[in-house]
Amino acid sequence: MKLPLSWLKTLVEFDLGVEELVEVMSHSGLEGEDVTTPGAGAAGIRTARVLHFEPHPDADKLRFVRVTGDGGDGEVEGVCGAANFEVGDVVAHALPGGHVPGVTGPDGAKGLDLSSRQIRGLTSHGMLASPKELELGEDAGGILVLPPDTPLGASLDDLIPVGEPVIEIAVQADRGDHLSMLGVARDLAAILDTTWRAPEVPDRPSAESIPVRLRTDGCASFHTWVLEDVTIGGSPLWLRQRLTQSGMRPIDVVVDVTNLVMLELGQPLHAFDLDRIGGPSLTVREAADGERLVTLDDVERTLAAGDLVIDDADHPISLAGVMGGLDTEVVADTRRVLLEAAVWEPTTIRRTSRRLGLTSEASTRFERAVDPAGAARAVARAADLLVSLASAAATGSDVVAREPAPAWAQRPSVRLDPARVRRTLAVDLADDVQVALLERAGATVAPMDDAGGSADGAGLSDGAGSAAGHLDVTPPTWRRDLGRQADLTEEIARLHGYDNIPDHLPSLPTTGGLTPSQRAERTARDLALAGGFHEAKTRPFVGPRAFAGGLPSDGRVLLANPLAQDAAAMRPSLLEGLLQAVRHNHGQGRPGVALTELGRCFRPVDDPLGTALDAVIGPRWRWTAPAGEPIPLQPRVLALAAQGRKLGEGWLDTEATWSVWDVLDVLDRVARRLAPPEDPTWQLERHAITREGFHPGRTAALVLQGQEVGVVGQLHPEEAERRDLPEPVVVGELLLEPFLAVTPEAGHRPVPARTLVRHPAMTVDVALVADDEVTYATLERTVRLAVGPLLDELWFFDEYRGAQVGEGRRSVAMRLRLQDPARQLTDADAEAVIESVATAAAGVGAALRR
Amino acid sequence: MSTLDELRERALAAIADAHDLDALDQVRVTFTGKRSELAGVQATMRDLDAEGRKALGQQLNAFRAAFQDAFDARQRALGEAALAARLESERLDLTLPPRRLPPGRPHLLTQVEEEMLAVFIGMGFRVAEGPEAESGAYNFDLLNIEPDHPARQEMDTIYVDGYEDVVLRTHTSPVQARVMTTQAPPIAVVVPGRTYRADAVDATHSPVFSQIEGLYVDEHVTMADLRGTLLAFARALFGSDRDIRLRPSFFPFTEPSAEVDVSFHGPGGHHGWLEILGAGMVDPNVLEMCGIDPERYSGFAFGIGIERVAMLRHGVRDIRELFEADARFLARF
Repeated sequence: MKLPLSWLKTLVEFDLGVEELVEVMSHSGLEGEDVTTPGAGAAGIRTARVLHFEPHPDADKLRFVRVTGDGGDGEVEGVCGAANFEVGDVVAHALPGGHVPGVTGPDGAKGLDLSSRQIRGLTSHGMLASPKELELGEDAGGILVLPPDTPLGASLDDLIPVGEPVIEIAVQADRGDHLSMLGVARDLAAILDTTWRAPEVPDRPSAESIPVRLRTDGCASFHTWVLEDVTIGGSPLWLRQRLTQSGMRPIDVVVDVTNLVMLELGQPLHAFDLDRIGGPSLTVREAADGERLVTLDDVERTLAAGDLVIDDADHPISLAGVMGGLDTEVVADTRRVLLEAAVWEPTTIRRTSRRLGLTSEASTRFERAVDPAGAARAVARAADLLVSLASAAATGSDVVAREPAPAWAQRPSVRLDPARVRRTLAVDLADDVQVALLERAGATVAPMDDAGGSADGAGLSDGAGSAAGHLDVTPPTWRRDLGRQADLTEEIARLHGYDNIPDHLPSLPTTGGLTPSQRAERTARDLALAGGFHEAKTRPFVGPRAFAGGLPSDGRVLLANPLAQDAAAMRPSLLEGLLQAVRHNHGQGRPGVALTELGRCFRPVDDPLGTALDAVIGPRWRWTAPAGEPIPLQPRVLALAAQGRKLGEGWLDTEATWSVWDVLDVLDRVARRLAPPEDPTWQLERHAITREGFHPGRTAALVLQGQEVGVVGQLHPEEAERRDLPEPVVVGELLLEPFLAVTPEAGHRPVPARTLVRHPAMTVDVALVADDEVTYATLERTVRLAVGPLLDELWFFDEYRGAQVGEGRRSVAMRLRLQDPARQLTDADAEAVIESVATAAAGVGAALRR
Repeated sequence: MSTLDELRERALAAIADAHDLDALDQVRVTFTGKRSELAGVQATMRDLDAEGRKALGQQLNAFRAAFQDAFDARQRALGEAALAARLESERLDLTLPPRRLPPGRPHLLTQVEEEMLAVFIGMGFRVAEGPEAESGAYNFDLLNIEPDHPARQEMDTIYVDGYEDVVLRTHTSPVQARVMTTQAPPIAVVVPGRTYRADAVDATHSPVFSQIEGLYVDEHVTMADLRGTLLAFARALFGSDRDIRLRPSFFPFTEPSAEVDVSFHGPGGHHGWLEILGAGMVDPNVLEMCGIDPERYSGFAFGIGIERVAMLRHGVRDIRELFEADARFLARF
């Protein structure tokens, strides 16, 4: 809402500068967003009458013009590019030496200084200005033509407050009353403890208007005035300025007046051409499904049951509260006008406006609720203005209203416990102070008797219990937001000043902290960082070609209103976002990058990923709606992606590139750290897999209790090529949900200490030769089982392929550290270990290399 | 000059000439080994009489002593020189960058989030979480955001297709409803997490951002408690000289509601206020809908934008930098 300062001052008393005013307002719920000064800088502009014009002899589109200010300064000649004026019209003449602000020069500079200059051989003294040039409208297609009774030779400054400040405020969703000058003025009066006044309006004519039948509770009251002998023309300067300052476009005097009154009083109005209304009466009713109406914007609208229409006994002529109909609109030769102001139900107007995608200044106000008591004043105000500005005569009026008023239009009284207000605000506000604050806001307040009735006999208690000491508060009609004790508490706090609320640090009766599961999540991220991966945060939207990642499926969580087609789904895996980030860094000329992200991936409820997780930890990781309805799967994932050289601060490793081992290392470490300690069922296995987008020989599924919970691999060369990334590109992700879910509330059981063996250790190296198909995991498991309790530690240290072991085979070397808690080991023990390894190896198709 | 005298002269000269430990050892072998000239002199012993043997014996001892002294001295000198040479050869320029892969850095948003959480955890808050694709019932209905309320439209919601009523949560507040419908007061939780709005990406808008929500529900919770909690938070995060100011505002799920500004001191003694969060007393409708008796209990809630705090504190001018994953940005903080 835009608030021209001089307009505001006609409605409320205050004595504050603009900055102070904005500060006070922002402190009291009228948040100032901007202060502008449209028209500022305009100088040397006076009103003038066109005496004569003729075509420019050397230019088709120019006119040679003579104007006079009638102020004793004679006639002035000029050249004008517009053609929208006649001899005798009153126009705005910017004289040489003057300035018009609304022009942007070819160099981007704003404003134009005027001089006398040659235009195609004729001298032009200044210019005739367009509304846009004067910042009195957007219209740049023609010059500003003013009503004929505009004083001549007057400086623009003397006619209107050119360039005055206009304060723009943000309107809170519950404060529809702030969508008008009067509404803001009333609130300012409450805030500043001063007085406000509405414009004076005439009594309504007693003669009848067109009969109106009100057939729906969607309308609380319907007010009409009939105006005859209306002269349609342009609006006077002051009215043009008001509309322009408020961001609206001047059109003609009738439309402009209805808009002005809407801005001033908050009540939208509509003007019908009375002669174009078909029937003898109007009916306000709910539309039937499929009815049609062409609205003012020349669009045929198909109505639905529940929309509100005004019907002229022939067909709908207005989409109530949203937009009038085209065929009854006021036009240039309209002589008889029916002014209408009605109070429509907010919910209905909002539904209609949303369904049709049609938002108007009127619907914006109705859906936030207008003052049910404000329509009579508004229609009278508009009629009064048209009587003076369009030389109209007010010849009739009518009011119809629902009795009793529909519930949505009532402002029932609220029971207020002043002691509760004091407790909530922690401010010792005496009852009479609270009463005074509420009265400033326009409420009427009465004490309640013990029975819960208002002591003056009006109103009934809305709550149980003794009402002793409680107050019965009737909010003003324009404050629909004051319907409950909590609302009144806020109003009291607001007008008393939030600054007067003390601060007190409560000592909470709860103990703070992270749960073991929350700590585990941080541990997972820390391990990725320790591996040299920087944490990234990527947007979780993906397009149709997103990388599928672990447990791939076609299932996507799609968005109904995505921001872009390449962001139409939620990520099914974190890898797409990370790979794009890797590409971004490569594009920046970085020799290498390693990124990690911890976040949620999204899959449909019936996705196989859900089945896999359920099999490990049951369904407790799934979120549901309040009644238990499933919502999309969104498990937490730790993902990694890396490409190019390893580099530190100021150091580049020209030998080492990021490899699949780096990714595997992190995820394996995370699984081992987060799993229940020493529980073999929580060991992560790796199974070689082939999968789209991945290198067929360098990819493994991470498997927990037979279920895939992650993947590690190098991108397929073609996938790397498609992403314009030099190889190798390595990625991996691990579902954290099983590990977080298995972490008990009190944390895992403590890891028991192990007695350190004091007898010297013995080191034995073994090498096993086997076909490539025999995995290292198998070989290691075999050795561990064979060595048994003597094994303290086992290290892999070499892999050999070559002539000595034969094609398709390899030798794998491990160093064993052997210890016995009871005695010192001897060579015989070593021999025995080697023999049992040899025997066990044979069982898996491997041979001990001697 | 006797043979031994002459031999000693040559031996001492050879020791002095030996330029490394190997050469020195060779001198030892040459002059005192089994086939050395010394051995030859020694061999003459058996041809001498007792007196001659005694005299020669004394000369030999003197020779050995002199040789050993010179040898030891030379060996020490050469050893020291060798060590010095080794140390010199092992010199490192320790201003070179260490050839180690440094750990990665947590994202700026993570750092700020954890710092903020730590403040609230210190006050006694626990951390609660909820889903990002959220039921409309939790995101709106239970928070007193009626389907037709303009506030619902102003939230620029992104809706999930194919479900009755699922949205990308527009705030972390639905977790309030999840906590209140499953736990009894006293409740004190903070809720970090991602939130979504249908905002086109530019320097100050992002369709994805993150918040920390706070909720305290108990008997007799007051607006002074809210103010005290937020003041302590602002001072812990921004400095002990800060103040906060509450301005009336509107949120459907709080009443009274407030925007909260924190003071700052700019260059040249400039003093101002920066809006950092929204807060208020939990609306009685919300308590009631979540199964908590609003007559007995009251509460406060607040929501802080993590991006905004991070950008203010670190002078990040473009919110896009937070989501671009440019390693130069990530490694800086």
